[in-house]
Amino acid sequence: MSNRLHEFDVVIVGSGIAGAVLARTLTQAGKSVLMLEAGLQSGMAFDPEAAYANYQSYLQTFYEKANKATNGPYPDLPDAPSPDVLEIKPSTPYDTGYLVQMGPQPFASDCLRAPGGTTLHWLGNVPRMLPNDFRLKSRYGHGVDWPIDYETLQPYYELAEFEIGVSGDVAAQVGPDMGPQNYGTGYVFPMRQIPQSYQDQVWMRNAGPAQLEVEGRSYTLGFASMPQGRNSEPNPDYPYGAIHWNAGLRRFELAPSKHIYRVVGSVWSPYTGERCEGNAACVPMCPVQAKYNALKTLSRADHDRLTIRTQSVASRVLVDAATQEVSGIEVKTYRNPDDPSHGLHVVTGRIYVLAAGALENAKLLLASGKVANSSDQVGRNLMDHLVMLTWGLFDDEKVYSYRGPGCTTYIPTFRDGEFRSEFSAWISPLDNWGWSWPTFAPGTDVSDAIGQGLFGRDLRHRIGDVVPRQALLHFEVEQLPQASNRVTIDPRYVDALGNPRPVIHYDVSDYERKAFAAAKCASDQILCKARITDHTLYKPTDANHVTWKGRGYTFWGAGHIVGTHRMGSDARTSVVKPTQQSWDHPNLYLVGCGSMPTVGTSNPTLTMTALSFMAAQDILCKLDAPLR
Amino acid sequence: MDHDLALFLDLSAHLTGFDVVELQGTGMAETYLNAAAMGIPKEWRAFLDRAAMVLREGGGDAARTHALIARELFPKALFGGLAQNITFMWYSGQWAPTVDASGADLATVTNISAQAYVQGLMWTAAHAHPPGAKQPGFASWAQLPVSVR
Repeated sequence: MSNRLHEFDVVIVGSGIAGAVLARTLTQAGKSVLMLEAGLQSGMAFDPEAAYANYQSYLQTFYEKANKATNGPYPDLPDAPSPDVLEIKPSTPYDTGYLVQMGPQPFASDCLRAPGGTTLHWLGNVPRMLPNDFRLKSRYGHGVDWPIDYETLQPYYELAEFEIGVSGDVAAQVGPDMGPQNYGTGYVFPMRQIPQSYQDQVWMRNAGPAQLEVEGRSYTLGFASMPQGRNSEPNPDYPYGAIHWNAGLRRFELAPSKHIYRVVGSVWSPYTGERCEGNAACVPMCPVQAKYNALKTLSRADHDRLTIRTQSVASRVLVDAATQEVSGIEVKTYRNPDDPSHGLHVVTGRIYVLAAGALENAKLLLASGKVANSSDQVGRNLMDHLVMLTWGLFDDEKVYSYRGPGCTTYIPTFRDGEFRSEFSAWISPLDNWGWSWPTFAPGTDVSDAIGQGLFGRDLRHRIGDVVPRQALLHFEVEQLPQASNRVTIDPRYVDALGNPRPVIHYDVSDYERKAFAAAKCASDQILCKARITDHTLYKPTDANHVTWKGRGYTFWGAGHIVGTHRMGSDARTSVVKPTQQSWDHPNLYLVGCGSMPTVGTSNPTLTMTALSFMAAQDILCKLDAPLR
Repeated sequence: MDHDLALFLDLSAHLTGFDVVELQGTGMAETYLNAAAMGIPKEWRAFLDRAAMVLREGGGDAARTHALIARELFPKALFGGLAQNITFMWYSGQWAPTVDASGADLATVTNISAQAYVQGLMWTAAHAHPPGAKQPGFASWAQLPVSVR
């Protein structure tokens, strides 16, 4: 067997949104790209018939499974396993799932190893980070500052919002450290905002002008419509139609178009998914692909220059000891995901990009020996948003939950403020899907009612009375980077192919616990103003139950897996440069959420996508100049 | 119509609060009849016989039938809990003894069928729709549901 396949300009590991953006932009700029994807070939279908058939198989699985968890519709592959939130247990350590959970808290989020990556199951909320998020240390004394500021990232946010196809209202993005100045004069999103739900309108009517007192400070409660990576109606004022590489200026540019923004439908048909149809199932899957997923980007790469190898699991990054350049990537290829037999190859290119997600990128580097890790930061600073949920019933009117996208409105009030010197900031999405997340409603409402002896008209009336009044509020709490929250590997824990499984040490700091207490205080007031009776119940037996000052709080994972190869301005304390080039190896880039030094209060995908454009730009510059 | 099926539908209407036409409209009646019969086979025939008796005694009077069902069919201790399981099945598309079994693996345990999930009556009762199916269209969520307008 040959151990050397092809030479490519760039080898990309992973076909999620970061890898897809790189593959699309680099091939369109004339570069040859090899993409390695651990998941199944069937998921990488781009011809309409096969793409439709594969996606329908996901949908059928979604319908069939009793539990509607994030990774449920997608194949679980022993040869390339994914974490699964259903594996999370209250008591650590344990190693019964893919992640080896050393504790003291189990890591609460999952991601998906499949063509398209976790964008298959993401919700699609795409708020930008705030300027102060980039200077958390200098402004509030916690975490670290980013090596770049908001203004530097702003043009890349515009590229990301084009690529994802964002629906939203710029004028509505008003809150602490957030307003029209964050977007620049005249900027609009490609599509008009996704309509806010009927339920949102009741929340806003009841609680809109409320004054809150939290930890000695006063706040005026605000609401904003959520920008989303989900199709609505094109905004005729949006001027752009394409992203071009300007080789002279060495940068990407949004190219003006005479035509109205062209909505990107499903991978199998441009006429499916042109607008959200209200399936109310964005997580774990949009049946019509009105929600963005990375396959949309990948399908529009220049496929004459793109080679995709699926069922190909990167297992080691090889480094030339003399030059410190990456010399290849060792790949294990399998035919049957249940069969551990596999081929072993080395693929080579001029530049290598790891875009496999924050867990897998770190794991792969650690499995490769001392690669990219002179700072000893690889795998460290693992972060997520810690999602504290509160739930209740509207007292005197039905809001008809369980309709529309998961979130159409959020509370920006606690995303920034002086309190960040004392406890974490949070974003509060209003959730349109009732109590389904914390209590598995409405099925549990039915079983409870039956258990109380209700049947017939009484049962129908009970469900019709209770379920439409269910309200759920999120408090997505910023987690600080901690060196001790980390992904490691251990030769005792490997998957079917012999690749290491992520071994995770994870805890929640006092800064975050204090935020839970503050958030619950805010919640009590918000629910009261909104005329919602609180039914929140945190049990000491819950997974991820923590205490602060004698009171208990339960949090859930947000699926925002961040920080394991953070960028910085100092090679001693960070893994990559702002361009996401490794400090240690000039032809290695680490892209994705792992590069984020802090997580702020934004769902991280938009920011990570903006950073991916930044990396692509740097790679194109490097390919046309000596590597340094 | 098969006698058992007719009886099952008549009883199911009393159990669910949906009328027979609504139940037939789901297309699930035969599937659910079989699921119930196979779910607790040793109680099934006796259960159907008692159901026939109860409905006969009820004589078409809804309140009287309801009271008889509450006493003679619905308690969990009777007939292996068949009446409660049938009710839950129509609402959720799940056979509770399978899904709730100790040791059931959340990652793999299934609804009775894909269509059973889609046809779950709890979504209709809640003026909603099963997530991922029967989608009501763009911007529908910004208004009252059609069923209450």
